[in-house]
Amino acid sequence: MAMTKTRRKFGMAVDLERCLGCWTCAVVCKEENDVPMGLWWNRVLTEGGDGLDKPDGTYPHLDLDYLPLACQHCEDAPCVKVCPAEATYKREDGGIVLVDYSKCIGCRYCMAACPYSVRVFNWAEPQRIPDFSYGMVEGRPRGVVEKCTFCVHRLDQGLEPSCVVSCPAQARIFGDLNDPDSPVSVAVRERGGTQMLADKGTHPQVYYLSKRRKRPL
Amino acid sequence: MTGRIAYRGWLAVLVAVMGLGFAAWLYQLANGLAVTGLSNVVSWGLYIIAFMYFVGLSAGGLIVVAGAQLAGAHQFRPLSRLAVLLSGASIVVAAAFILPDLGHPERAYRVLISGQFYSPLVWDFIIIATYLVIALVDLWLMTRPRESERALTVMALISLPVAVLVHSITAWIFGLLVARPFWNSPLLAPLFISSALVSGLALLLVVVLVLRKLRLLEIEDAVLGSLGKLMAVFIAIDGFFLFAEVLTAIASNVPDLRDQTMLLLNGSLAPFFWPEMLLGVVVPFLIFALPGLRRRNGLLAAASTLAVLGVLLKRINIMMASMSLPLIERAPGQSWGRLVAPGGRFWLRLGDYAPTWVEWSIAAGIVALGALLVTLGVRYLVRRPATVPEPATPRPGRPVVARPAP
Repeated sequence: MAMTKTRRKFGMAVDLERCLGCWTCAVVCKEENDVPMGLWWNRVLTEGGDGLDKPDGTYPHLDLDYLPLACQHCEDAPCVKVCPAEATYKREDGGIVLVDYSKCIGCRYCMAACPYSVRVFNWAEPQRIPDFSYGMVEGRPRGVVEKCTFCVHRLDQGLEPSCVVSCPAQARIFGDLNDPDSPVSVAVRERGGTQMLADKGTHPQVYYLSKRRKRPL
Repeated sequence: MTGRIAYRGWLAVLVAVMGLGFAAWLYQLANGLAVTGLSNVVSWGLYIIAFMYFVGLSAGGLIVVAGAQLAGAHQFRPLSRLAVLLSGASIVVAAAFILPDLGHPERAYRVLISGQFYSPLVWDFIIIATYLVIALVDLWLMTRPRESERALTVMALISLPVAVLVHSITAWIFGLLVARPFWNSPLLAPLFISSALVSGLALLLVVVLVLRKLRLLEIEDAVLGSLGKLMAVFIAIDGFFLFAEVLTAIASNVPDLRDQTMLLLNGSLAPFFWPEMLLGVVVPFLIFALPGLRRRNGLLAAASTLAVLGVLLKRINIMMASMSLPLIERAPGQSWGRLVAPGGRFWLRLGDYAPTWVEWSIAAGIVALGALLVTLGVRYLVRRPATVPEPATPRPGRPVVARPAP
C-alpha cells in the first residue's frame, strides 16, 4: 500500500468480462450484513432477455451478460442531499455513503432519489431463516432504509468487502481511487472503466469494466 | 330540528371515520408499513399522493382571497372566511398525511431540531408551517368585530408569495430528483401551481354550492359566475402546461422519459390519464367557459366536482408514472420487501401498486379530520355575523370602511 497524504476514496471496479452471474456476491452479502428475508443489498441483474438468465436475441445470435448492482457510493449522492434527518451521510474517511439507522425517520425520500434503485426498506419486522442473526453486523430495526455499506466494518479492520473476497471469478477489484497505483485505479484507467448512468452527474465510486470482445455463447 | 339532527349525524359519521382511520394507523404502527401495498419499487403511494393533492387543494382559498384583496375585487369578500378555512384545513390534512408514511413517525421531530437543509422536505416543513400560521392569522383577522383593511392587505401581500412557494416546494420534492425523469422537469413547479389553483378553487366552489343548497351560506350567482370564469382560465393554463410537458417528453424521445410518459398515454396508467384529460380538463373547461352552461347551478357543481377529481387523477399519474418504471429495470428486478412463501411474488421489475384497506382507512380518517375542521369552522367562524358589505364602488387605494351587517 502506497502511503499517501490525500484522503482515501474507496471505490470498486466490477469486471463484466469475468462476472459469471452466479450470485455468490449477493448471497455472501446477505450473510455478512445480516440482511433479512425479502431484502437484497446486492443483486446480479441479467443483461439480456426478459427474465433471469435469459439471453437476448434469437439462436444462434444470442447474447447474455450480467450486471452486479449495489450502492454506487456516489460522490455527489442524491440520497445524501435529500435526506431530511441527516441519517444518510457521506463518511469523510473513504467517502462511503452510510445510513445512521438511529436517525432514519423512514420517509423513503432517499429511495425515490436513488437512480440505481439499490436502497431497500424494512417494511416489516426483519425476519431471518434460520431464526437468528447470522451477520457480522447488527441487524436493522423495522421502519428504516438500508443498503450496501462497502462492508464498512471490514474496511475498518483493513479487510476488503466480502463480495470482493468471495467472488469466484475475481470480478471485483476494490481499493483507494485517490491512490493512482491502487489496483482499482489501475484497472479503471487501463480498462476504461465506466460509471453507471454517468449522465445523471452522481459520480459513482463504482466502475464497470466492459467486455473487451464478444464471445460466442 | 331536522337540521340539528343531520348536523349531529354528520359529526358522528366524521368522528367514526376518524376512529376507523386511527385504529388502522395503530394497526400499521404495530405491524409496520408491510401492511401497505408499497414495495421497494413503488416506495411512495397513497399517502404521498394525498399529501401532494391536499397541498394543492389548499391553494384555492388563500390565493383567491389574497388576489381579490390586492386587486380590490370586493365581490369575493363574502367567500373569504370560507376560502381561508378550506386552505387551513387542507394544509392540516396534507401535513397529517406525512405521518403514516413514515417508518418512524416518533422521530419526525428530528427534522425540526436537526434538519438537513439541502433537503426539499425540510423546506416544505418550514413553508407548510408558515402557510398554516398565515391561514390562522387571516381567519382571526376576518372574524374580529371590525375588519382591518390594512391588516388584510398586508396579510395578502405575505400570503401570495408564500402560497406560490408552498406549491413550488412541494413540486421540488419531486422535481429536483435526477433519478425520476418524468418529475425532473423545470415545468413541474408551474404545473403544481396551476393544478393547485384548479383543484383549490374547484373545491371552494363545491363547498359553496353545498352550503348554499343547505341554506348555510348566501352567495349571489354573479359571484359564482366570476369564479367559474376564473376556473376556465385556470383549467386552460393547467391543460396547456400538461400538454407542453407531454409533448416535450414524447417528441424528444429520450428513452426513460419517453417510457414513463408512454405509460400514461397507452400503458398501465392510460385508464387514469385519459379520464383525467377528458373528465378533468375538457368537460369542466367547456362548462366553465360557456356562459350558457356555467349559469346552470347543477352543471357548475358537476364541473367543479370533475375538476377536483381530475386533479386527484393527475396526482396519481404523476406519482405512478415515475414510480412504476425504475431507471435500472432488468431481470429479476428489485425485491418486493417482505418474507414471501416459496413460489410467491418476490421480484418486481415494473412497479405495481394498489393501496390496501389499511391505507384507505387511514386516508379516510385523515380526510374526515379535514371535513370535521371545515364543518366546525363553518359553524363557528364562517357563519358569525359578517362585518362585510362593502360600498358598491370603493375608490382604489383608499381603505374601505367596514360597517356591521344590517
